[in-house]
Amino acid sequence: MSNSLLKVVKFEFIRQIKKPSFWATIILIPLLVVGMMAISFMTSGGVKANPTLDENTKVAITDEVGILPKEMPIVVDYTREEGKNKVIDKELDLYFYIPADFKESKKVDFYHISEGLEIFNNDGQAIKGILNQAVASEFDVVDVLALTGQFDVVDNKLTATGEVSNALGKAIIPFVFLVCFFFLITLFGGRMLMTVVEEKENRISEMILTTVSTKHLIVGKIIAMMLLGVIQILTLIIPVIVAVIIYRDNEIVSGILSTIEIDPVSIIINLALFILSVFLSIGFLTYIGTITPTAKDASQFIGPVIIGVVFPLYFMQSFMATDPNFLVYFLTYFPLSAPTALMLRSAFGTLSSPELIIGLVEIAILSFIVIRATVHSFQKNAINFGIVLPKFLRRR
Amino acid sequence: MKNIVEVKNFQMKFGKKTIIKDLSFDVRAGEIFGLLGANGSGKTTTLRALLGFYTPTGGELLVDGKPYDPENPAVMIGYLPEERGLYRKETVLDNLVYFGELKGLKSPRDWALKYLKRVKLEDKQNEKLEKLSGGQQQKIQLGVTIMNDPKLLILDEPTKGFDPMNRRLLMEIIEELHQKGTAVILITHYMDEVEKLCDRALLLKNGVAEAYGTISEIKKQHKNKSLEQIFIDIYGGENE
Repeated sequence: MSNSLLKVVKFEFIRQIKKPSFWATIILIPLLVVGMMAISFMTSGGVKANPTLDENTKVAITDEVGILPKEMPIVVDYTREEGKNKVIDKELDLYFYIPADFKESKKVDFYHISEGLEIFNNDGQAIKGILNQAVASEFDVVDVLALTGQFDVVDNKLTATGEVSNALGKAIIPFVFLVCFFFLITLFGGRMLMTVVEEKENRISEMILTTVSTKHLIVGKIIAMMLLGVIQILTLIIPVIVAVIIYRDNEIVSGILSTIEIDPVSIIINLALFILSVFLSIGFLTYIGTITPTAKDASQFIGPVIIGVVFPLYFMQSFMATDPNFLVYFLTYFPLSAPTALMLRSAFGTLSSPELIIGLVEIAILSFIVIRATVHSFQKNAINFGIVLPKFLRRR
Repeated sequence: MKNIVEVKNFQMKFGKKTIIKDLSFDVRAGEIFGLLGANGSGKTTTLRALLGFYTPTGGELLVDGKPYDPENPAVMIGYLPEERGLYRKETVLDNLVYFGELKGLKSPRDWALKYLKRVKLEDKQNEKLEKLSGGQQQKIQLGVTIMNDPKLLILDEPTKGFDPMNRRLLMEIIEELHQKGTAVILITHYMDEVEKLCDRALLLKNGVAEAYGTISEIKKQHKNKSLEQIFIDIYGGENE
């Protein structure tokens, strides 16, 4: 790294980290983003805390023990494989299999097609109510288990092709990158834009550009912001790691931990996507900084750009669908929304390899073009103090 | 004497507007050179092209024989632009140290503290620049300009907005650097400053050199009138 580039990185990094506002936003914005994502997640079916069965739900139970009366319409004589196949073929929504060793295993198997990133699906708990109501008045051990519900329902989530689904486990690492990306953009995008405008507004640019090249000044600022982002990510991840260590015996925490799939190829791809996405999004904001005359003018663009970047989040349901619709494809390749859309689809497992390659190449090329354009624009406009925005874009 | 700046057949157009038609001049090592002209005559454009902010439409502009490169300057340059400012939200010391580092000073902090003592602002070193008065900020800008003993000092209307104390300080500094062999390019509208300081000058009009030479040669060409009168004769009322 060039000497002057290092000096710019050091200066920009230290002056931001000294600001109390940096530490205030570093704590507040993550809380806001996590809240927003949690609401989005919960409203998109990620958490089914209560059974959602109705008269249209197609349910069947194979009872190898004989707890349920044979005349109950939902009691069938399918083998476990037959029941499972009927779920895959969508002839059944829910299928329960009470094994012959129920008394010893105290387990009922529950089969259904996974609806995206389910953490809790309590539809399976319906079997407890069914058994409770069905048992005879003369109890034996099996009936007591059925009455009191002291058995486990083993949730076998299936993919549409019949494989055991681990959508959540596969999604966790891409989601970590997505969350980090949002924090970086929301926290540092605006800061980056302002720091470029500051050079012009305070008439620093003409003095500084005789000592450092435009390229080193702009790239140095971007690198400094990324380093600040690393601090942001650490302040977020360290408490999470500490919480996980403390609550590692908690059922939900240990359940999630056991499902996490660590695939090195997926990590490398998502890391590349993350880095390129940060470059592209910060590049957009920096470019705006080079063409706006004042911080006041520049500030009006921060909101729309951030909304453009997070736009795919509003269509979480569409992104979770196994068959992406036109909107999903459009957002996947539209420059501003492409980073978020690609990361979401990577998390939900709906991004094919060719699409991933096209997306990565697109973002890499766009990042290069945007940063080149930013350097060129700053070179051109840094000393153009009379630059004026078109009338419709000026703040009143 | 060696030329530290050479401008050869420089032409500059912005779109269809021609700012400089054909301009050639040189600045010799150690001299004080006045670049003069009415507002909009192309003085600042010429300096900006010399420093690489603009790509000339034609000709070449060289500093110590090469186009100026801020990352690898052939000679150390001090530049005080007409539009000048520093990082208002940072402290006085941080501003000076940052520019000192960029200019390759070995001990920027030591230099900054020494300079602040000289200009009687040592007690302001940890103040944010925006808390300083206009005159105090000018002293800091001047410090940034002269740090690392430049071999070429470019001053674009340096006394514009300066109070009398800072004007005197600037003159002292120019004199001091001149004694050390620094060449100075001075853009100013104050002809008394030119007569007092400059060895040679160039008067720019309509994109060409209207007059060019030593101060006495220029005066001789204009019936030994004062520089101020020559300026008025050349530019008439166009500067109003």
